[in-house]
Amino acid sequence: MDIRENLDLISREMHEALENVGSLQELEALKVKVLGKKGSLTALLRSMGQLSPEERPKAGQMINVAREELTAALEEKQQALSSAEKEMRLKKEAIDVTEPRDLPLVGTVHPTQLVLNEVLSCFEGLGYEVVEGPEVELDHYNFELLNLPKNHPARDAQDTFYIDDSIVLRTHTSPVQARTMLTKKPPIRIVCPGRVFRADEVDATHSPVFHQIEGLVIDKDVSMGDLKGTLDAFAKRLYGDDIEVRFRPSFFPFTEPSAEVDLTCFNCHGKGCKMCKGTGWIEVLGCGMVNPKVLEMCGIDSSVYSGFAFGIGLERITMLRYGIKDMRLLYEGDLRFLRQFR
Amino acid sequence: MKVSMKWLKEYADIPMTAEEYESRMIMTGTGVEGTEFLGAELENVVVGRVLTCRDHENSDHLHVCTVDVGEEEALQIVCGAPNVKEGLLVPVAKIGAKLPGGHVIKKGKLRGVESQGMLCSGPEIGVPVELYPSVGDAGLLVFQEEYPLGTDVRTIFGLDDTVIDFEILANRPDCLCVWGVARETAAAMGTELKLPEIKVQEVGDDIADYARVEVLESELCPRYAAKVVKNVRVAPSPAWLRQYLHACGMRSINNIVDITNFVMLETGHPMHAFDLDKVEGRHIIVRKANKGETLTTLDGKEHALPETALMICDETHPTGLAGIMGGEESEITEDTKTILFECAAFDRTSIRLTSRAMGIRTESSGRFERGVNPQTCMDALLRACQMVNELDAGDVVSGVIDLYPNPAKPVVLDVNCKRICTRAGVEVNPEEMKAILEKLLFQVEVNGENMKVTAPAFRQDIEQEADICEEVLRYAGYDRIPITHLKGENPMGGLNEKTRNQKMLRTLLSGMGFYETMTFSFVSKKAIDMLGMPQDDRRSKPLMVLNPLGEDTACMRTTMLCGLLKTLSTNMKNGNVDGRIYELGATFDAINRTAENLPTETPSLAIGMYGNADFYSIRGVVEALCKENGIQYKIEKAEEKYLHPGRQTKLMLGDEMLCVLGEVHPDTAEKFDLPGRAYVAEVNLSVFFQAIRPMEMVKSIARFPAVQRDLALVMKEDVLVGPMMDALKSGCGALLEDIRMFDVFRGVQIGEGNKSVAFSFTFRSADHTLTEDEINKLTNKALKIAAEQFDAHIRA
Repeated sequence: MDIRENLDLISREMHEALENVGSLQELEALKVKVLGKKGSLTALLRSMGQLSPEERPKAGQMINVAREELTAALEEKQQALSSAEKEMRLKKEAIDVTEPRDLPLVGTVHPTQLVLNEVLSCFEGLGYEVVEGPEVELDHYNFELLNLPKNHPARDAQDTFYIDDSIVLRTHTSPVQARTMLTKKPPIRIVCPGRVFRADEVDATHSPVFHQIEGLVIDKDVSMGDLKGTLDAFAKRLYGDDIEVRFRPSFFPFTEPSAEVDLTCFNCHGKGCKMCKGTGWIEVLGCGMVNPKVLEMCGIDSSVYSGFAFGIGLERITMLRYGIKDMRLLYEGDLRFLRQFR
Repeated sequence: MKVSMKWLKEYADIPMTAEEYESRMIMTGTGVEGTEFLGAELENVVVGRVLTCRDHENSDHLHVCTVDVGEEEALQIVCGAPNVKEGLLVPVAKIGAKLPGGHVIKKGKLRGVESQGMLCSGPEIGVPVELYPSVGDAGLLVFQEEYPLGTDVRTIFGLDDTVIDFEILANRPDCLCVWGVARETAAAMGTELKLPEIKVQEVGDDIADYARVEVLESELCPRYAAKVVKNVRVAPSPAWLRQYLHACGMRSINNIVDITNFVMLETGHPMHAFDLDKVEGRHIIVRKANKGETLTTLDGKEHALPETALMICDETHPTGLAGIMGGEESEITEDTKTILFECAAFDRTSIRLTSRAMGIRTESSGRFERGVNPQTCMDALLRACQMVNELDAGDVVSGVIDLYPNPAKPVVLDVNCKRICTRAGVEVNPEEMKAILEKLLFQVEVNGENMKVTAPAFRQDIEQEADICEEVLRYAGYDRIPITHLKGENPMGGLNEKTRNQKMLRTLLSGMGFYETMTFSFVSKKAIDMLGMPQDDRRSKPLMVLNPLGEDTACMRTTMLCGLLKTLSTNMKNGNVDGRIYELGATFDAINRTAENLPTETPSLAIGMYGNADFYSIRGVVEALCKENGIQYKIEKAEEKYLHPGRQTKLMLGDEMLCVLGEVHPDTAEKFDLPGRAYVAEVNLSVFFQAIRPMEMVKSIARFPAVQRDLALVMKEDVLVGPMMDALKSGCGALLEDIRMFDVFRGVQIGEGNKSVAFSFTFRSADHTLTEDEINKLTNKALKIAAEQFDAHIRA
């Protein structure tokens, strides 16, 4: 048989065999059988020695062409097989993607803190600095400097816990404002968050421990309008752009004039609902222009400077925000409650 | 402050609906807490006359009556009252009438006879006896006076009235009366204020011949004014007076006592009437109580008197507790002939302290505590005498006693309209300001942009320009305040260091699956003692609250653990699996005081876990917090009684303790009601925050490969792995990049009392690839250290 015939035979046999190859292993065996050291094509190549020098180049070229063709066919088959195998494997590896698993543990901050964080980020953005002070406080800072002298009836309203004659559990975070005014020169722009205490028995809406955040601004020519503008920005940031603020006359010893502030009920958007008792408004905080007497007591010249102050009960706005009906939930730490927050 | 609208409308017109009125009052500073229509429970009951009355054919006690209620046809009504008869004027509940208790009258048949309503007894219409004395009589209520037929009976009893409960601000005690609310009402409505002109008819004589008053404590009693009435005719008060008192929540007693209460409600001045014949020497002395003195008050109770109590006395003994309650002895009775009306001002602190000390609170003491204005005493006193004239309750003796040594001067303020506008943020021109202030009865002289303002005598709250600003703003309208923004420089805001650090901790702990809790800052002493800390431990000596609500609010927490353990218990008992909680807060050290003598407050963090957790998990949490903040600590032995003796440790930063953590001791668990194992840590954040190191520059990533060698070492059970690893680390030098423990094995193969600990060593050099020889040298060094220092040998 001449080379040509041999090549055709090898090629035909291999193509036939390829048809039946079902795995990469079989393919490898076939490859060895044809192209391996002892393979049929290799044998043919070796047999070229018997050819005359004139025939050799032609035969060599023919064998090389055949070799390339066979190699390409093998490779093609290999690719087909491996992608089929991969496909098979992926198919086998399919899982039920709806099967539940435990999630990575992620906790959360306390709901009151969640709301405080929102409030703080609002006032941080408005250029307010956060200042804190002691929870056990001198009567002097908690009352006297705030225009609440000893035996003032408004002190009774605050149901104070006393440590001794001169030390109290602070009834509001206002003493932090007094301390700041005494140590810092205007302009002052601060917020004071913190824990406060009043001798109230625990029930659904009262707690002897609760949290406030108070704000204080002292500068030249500060007005009630600026106060309203600040609280309007705060309300819109926290509850949405359709929220309006309403000021009502009120009284606090450390501010004059004073106001209670209502916000458009964020449940019914002012239409009137159970939450706002049909009024469309929700009472949220108290505020006013700092009483000049307080400024003077804290060493600030009230003929040059004026300022405003406001105070927000955090538990109240937290309860409103999340629809919490009983304040005790905030202090029990029951995970069935806490795990609902995010 | 409850006010009858009928009474109020005598002095100020209200030309708008109730809702509009209330909202106007709220927006000018007089809050409304509630509204009650007195006759809400009694509807469609009218005056009727019994025309005929015959016995019911099928009953031995019912009567069949025809009743004229002023309509075209008389009603046929079956009535069971034994006193019903022809000609009586009675209350008739017509079909559809509502009676107290929610009863509705329906058309019906009684034993076959149709009844078109019901004739009512006193109790059936629920009218209190002080409103109509004969409602207490048995059987059918019979009107004694003539009324047009068909009259709504509510008009007879004064129940056709609305009572508004006003919320009076603390600085406005002058509004705690009908006149005060009328003044605000007239100003708010823009209507005329019609307060009565006070005129008293006197019969001559001289008060000096009847009574003498001496005030020994003029500090505590800045004014004492008195009038005498003789030939007193004690009698029941007329219906209108009884009705006004009832509407305002007071009971009618007799005309004299009712006059004092009426005047108090109308003017805000508490008054008292003494039976002058019972006052020894007709001489009233205002002094403090003497040691051992007692007084029997109007309510018949005898009280020992504290020596600080201000008393109204006669020449021999106390006859009344000043400003709080009169004495029984000089009480007005039917036999009283001569009375002395007292209208005084007492120091509010003194009244408050005595009222507290004696546990007596009255309408009068409450008003004195909020502040009664001495300047207006005389108006009230004369108003009472005018009422005596009107009710013909006696003859007013001429002359007045008025001890008022230091009369208050009118408050005159020079204010600047421009400054007021700046403060208010609202443009109000001087003319408008003047109009507002005059409406509020201030006297105003405008001089360009300045004003001289004189406050009315009844306003004790006006002291400075800011107060005038509030008055102007209240009536210019808080709604007029514009929304403006702060001018001036824009400072850089932001969190302070502590809140910033706390925020960082919250973020880390949330990421580790922890939930934040909050507990009270006070705890019971018992809870602290349950932790079993030694008596000389500062944490056992808490700061005590002087006036706690109870045991649970008795002392300030010295540790966060009591609250934490309670919260853990709550969650474990509620079946919440895998609890991970923490709390951030302050603990209080009563011994270590600040320069201001305040207790030291230490920011603290308490962490608690149970369920899928062990000692190493809670230690890991704290270690992770430290690692994230570049804090290097030493682990040392701890000896806390509340923790498991073999499962606790403390992290130290030099001499300072950063944290104590461990498994809760079973005894502590039992005391705090924990039904299983729990793990707690308490971190001193003041130490922690100070130890925080800012991040350093990054290191370049190593270019040469690392080599890992695993070694299992067998050692005695009591060898501590931590110190051993420290020794290995320092012994092997810089080429040992890392050492990690990855397994601990115990079993018979390695012998009783031994453990096999597997370590993975990572070696690396920064400047070349380590050779096999170098690595062997390093491992041999490690093995040598383990053998020599810890008697630990490579596992066979």
